[in-house]
Amino acid sequence: MVNLLDRPSTRRTPSSSSSLKPSRPVARLTLPTLLALTAIVTVLPFVAMVLVAFAPPSGQTFPDAFYPTRWTFENFTRVLSSSDIPRWTVNSLLYSLVSVVFVLLFAAMAGYAFAKKRFPGRELMFWAFLATLMVPFQATLIPSYILISRLDWVDSYWGLIVPTLANSQAVFLLRQFISQLPDELFEAAEIDGASEWKIFTLIVMPLIRPALATLGIFVFLWHWNDFLWPLVIGQSANMQTLTVGLATLQTQSVPINQIMAGATITVIPSLLVFGLLQRYLTDSITMSGLKS
Amino acid sequence: MTQVGVDPSSPVRRPRPVPVRGRYGPRRRAWVGLVFVAPMLALFLAFRFLPAVGAVWLSLTDYRLSGRWEFIAFDNYTRLLQDELFHQSLLVTLTYTLIFVPLTVLISLGTALLLQQVVWQRGFFRGVFFLPYVTSIVLAAVIWKWIYDAQDGLLNAVLGLVSIGPIDFLGSDNSVLASIAVTSAWKGFGYSMLILLAGLQAVPKSYLEAAMIDGASAWQRFRYITIPQIRPVLFFVLVIETISAFQVFDAMYVMTGGGPVRASYSLVYLLYDSGFKFFDFGYASAIGIMLFFIVLVISLVQRRLVGRDDD
Repeated sequence: MVNLLDRPSTRRTPSSSSSLKPSRPVARLTLPTLLALTAIVTVLPFVAMVLVAFAPPSGQTFPDAFYPTRWTFENFTRVLSSSDIPRWTVNSLLYSLVSVVFVLLFAAMAGYAFAKKRFPGRELMFWAFLATLMVPFQATLIPSYILISRLDWVDSYWGLIVPTLANSQAVFLLRQFISQLPDELFEAAEIDGASEWKIFTLIVMPLIRPALATLGIFVFLWHWNDFLWPLVIGQSANMQTLTVGLATLQTQSVPINQIMAGATITVIPSLLVFGLLQRYLTDSITMSGLKS
Repeated sequence: MTQVGVDPSSPVRRPRPVPVRGRYGPRRRAWVGLVFVAPMLALFLAFRFLPAVGAVWLSLTDYRLSGRWEFIAFDNYTRLLQDELFHQSLLVTLTYTLIFVPLTVLISLGTALLLQQVVWQRGFFRGVFFLPYVTSIVLAAVIWKWIYDAQDGLLNAVLGLVSIGPIDFLGSDNSVLASIAVTSAWKGFGYSMLILLAGLQAVPKSYLEAAMIDGASAWQRFRYITIPQIRPVLFFVLVIETISAFQVFDAMYVMTGGGPVRASYSLVYLLYDSGFKFFDFGYASAIGIMLFFIVLVISLVQRRLVGRDDD
């Protein structure tokens, strides 16, 4: 890409335009400085959270938190022993990981059928799936809850996980990806006598691995960060997820240092996913932006 | 990569069923395709379509916790129109949307422009701006609630250094919605930023260079070349952010509980309370239906606006 910073200077009004196409020496530094400042403001809340989490439990959070010599793990040990954080973590992990596995499997199967199979009602089904994207989740919150309570699934992993597996975005993404695979591949496998399930598991699944990886990360994050559904379904403390637990924690008279310690714990998996797989996430959003 | 830039009128493209080429596996074994869609189809029928139909039906009844109900036609809707709480929550949601959408679009566009202009460490900065997006809105709300705190909060501590405040950001009618909007914008701008950045990078360099040779100022180039070129992406971002603003709930639940005195009591908050505090399921469903129509209208208006662009 051509570096616009090196373009010859043109006439322009000083203030508003300098943020767009810099060319004078001062302007060359202005934009990187502005960028760095914006970045600092963006991470500042996280930094503050971690500092307060490690600050001495008693007294003011500010400026106490800024003396590294007094840092302590005490807030973490206290919040871990006084709350259900370990249990909530297990619930969050179950909710996220089980969902990832089944969303990927069922969406890949449906995507394969929509992309490569012909069956009665295919078009209608496809458009019906598409239409559900228009319905906000909150609009069907009440009937979904009543359905779950009729099934006697309130306050259970079934109620938490199963309804959230109906993920139309996952179906569309994988259908798109699978439809790009050459038909000859499947014909050859069929001639060799491979069964339909073998074709799916040994040909389709390995070939769409990059799409599965990206989608898996998103599904994980959606579930890990989800709030309203776990709030409604997980009614006893034992069935709460980390997001719901954190929200209840801060309504009780728990000291702010401990709340921040709890918050720090909840953010670790997100940060791990982000640190390891950032490229997958950002690239796929960029692609979806171009398609939109 | 250049789709958006080359074709400024590209409408929202939607996936279509792919035509299946003959020979291989056609109607010979139609059941195979059905078997493969079956699990997802069953999930959709049970947990998407049934609740969607159920929402309409429930909104026409007075369904209560006991499971008893009577058909009351449009009573829930007439009650809604007269309910001051509904008016209040609609006003709160609209005000919040009017603050949140411009704020988040400006931040996303601003950071996208900065990233496009500054080549230095672009990948790193892109990652930093995207970081809040991978965390939960609950986490953002918990952190910012403390930042805004009138006594021990970080923001008031900083403002105190220059002898301002303390300001009770979340405790005052005037600032509570803006404070929540800032929190949501901080949490979510990374997504829109990436989409806008992709749009910006697809603007053909030759257009900008030609304008530059003709003596167009940076503002003129931005206004008359960049903006029209990224218009479809900008619309897309506007719509998804508007829709998300109308569904605001989590941040308010955690940060203010709807207060002070319902100053941050949104539409979805009213839905949640009607359902899970007052167990007035029929009434809550009617609010859900209203929400659906609001979101639908926003999408249709957007399609109209982008569609007009096509001519």
